[in-house]
Amino acid sequence: MPALQYFDCHARIGRWTAPRPEHILTAEGLVAEMDRYDIAEALVHHASAWEWAPAPGNETLLREIASYPRLHPCFVALPPATREMPSPREMVAQLREAGGGAVRLFPQFHQYRLADWCCRELLEVLEAERVPVLLDVTQADWGVLPEVLTAHPALPVVLLDVGYRSDRYLYPLWERHQNLHVEIGSYVMHGGVEAVCARFGPERLLFGTGLPLMDPAGPTALLAYADAPVAATQLIAGANLRRLLAGEAQDG
Amino acid sequence: MASPDLRDACRMGEALAGELVIDCHTHLGPWHNFHIPGPTAQDMVRTMDRLGVALSICSPHLAIGPDYRLGNREVMAAAEAFPGRITPYVTINPHYPAAEVGEEIGYWQAQGHLRAFKIHPSVHGYRADGPGYAPMFEFADARGLPVLSHSWAGDGHCGPAILGTLAERYPRVTVIVAHAASGWPMIEEACTQAEAHANVFLDLTGSQLFCRALETMVERIGAERILFGTDLPFVDPRPGLGRVLMARIGDEDKRRILGLNAQALFGADMARAHAPGGPARGR
Repeated sequence: MPALQYFDCHARIGRWTAPRPEHILTAEGLVAEMDRYDIAEALVHHASAWEWAPAPGNETLLREIASYPRLHPCFVALPPATREMPSPREMVAQLREAGGGAVRLFPQFHQYRLADWCCRELLEVLEAERVPVLLDVTQADWGVLPEVLTAHPALPVVLLDVGYRSDRYLYPLWERHQNLHVEIGSYVMHGGVEAVCARFGPERLLFGTGLPLMDPAGPTALLAYADAPVAATQLIAGANLRRLLAGEAQDG
Repeated sequence: MASPDLRDACRMGEALAGELVIDCHTHLGPWHNFHIPGPTAQDMVRTMDRLGVALSICSPHLAIGPDYRLGNREVMAAAEAFPGRITPYVTINPHYPAAEVGEEIGYWQAQGHLRAFKIHPSVHGYRADGPGYAPMFEFADARGLPVLSHSWAGDGHCGPAILGTLAERYPRVTVIVAHAASGWPMIEEACTQAEAHANVFLDLTGSQLFCRALETMVERIGAERILFGTDLPFVDPRPGLGRVLMARIGDEDKRRILGLNAQALFGADMARAHAPGGPARGR
């Protein structure tokens, strides 16, 4: 058996506007793909919550993953001012009732700003409840991240799709903020994972695939072949995400 | 067809033993717009050992960037420091005088180290079919040498269609289209050119690979003209190796892609390249 049991922080189910024949659209299909890559669990959002409407999309997500205990809900949220969704507290309660989970934000795509004038109420509730917030780098400019991380130091923030050209942004943020985490799916410059483990600790990194678009073999091999202690790769593979979902504080 | 041995090696994080793995697309050294934690030849060879990669064919960042002549000497020094593990592409820059470029090519030919050329028309801001590259292509065509070119879907300097015209113009050159799996438009364009030109090969180098991309490429053009490449140390080679090892293709196709195709393309002396874990499979 492989030494690592992966918990994917970056997966999606559901019909979307531009699928290819290769794309998995169902919870059943996602779980079968996870089996092939030894991925034990995954945090998933629903395409309709991203591309259509978050509130009904999140309801659809809960229905579609209800019989798949290995899949955990990642709600897509909006800032509360327009009242298109349940209040942040109601949303978190709904997540808790479903066994816990995380929240994904798409500020650019959904046309709002991550800054406090727009998202303060939402982020304060998520911070108080220690609900992890997942965010594509393409959805929020680097300039606003220090403000968010400083204003909400107990809010676990997970950046997705950071690519391999982001260290000159990430390192100064990691020097100042314990609550910043990065998904490794695209964080692939040579020795990048090992360098972060040595400098900032493995608690800062999370395993993620980008399923159903991206090939999970990339991030699984990045960890399976990492030049890092097994204890560190186990944290990245899944223990860090489990800790964040349990609402436990950052150690690193 | 299931590939239990190679796939399981990847799942377990075991270095490949007894397999010939040649990385056809590597660089060396730092780069201007991002941090590379492991940029040196020593860093590269350490990771190659960890994976069981026998040989990197290399064009330093300095060579594709500001100083191709100094970059060519940098990779030669790395090849001498790690014999049999790193071997050079000769890189040329079309913005410099033809006489200087010709002198550089002649120098490396005289040294006996001219195995293949590398060009990066995107960094150079110069079309691959422009006159500045023509003497190199003519030289390569006369001797049947491969040319690895950067490529990207829609790149007006070196998109796959431009490289396809070069494959037609220089039929003895094997034109290696880099980054051929870097998104579905690129896969489509690159496979179309490979279907049209028998001397077009496709390189898998890329920071991410899309689900079922490699399987689609093998279905389209077969495994015989697909090469394993990673961009090391620009990009970590671990994910790229994993994508081949875990793909839903047969083990023999994986072996062709990982090393046997490169061995046949770049020269018989590649047979001397041995994976750290054991003797290479020569066939």
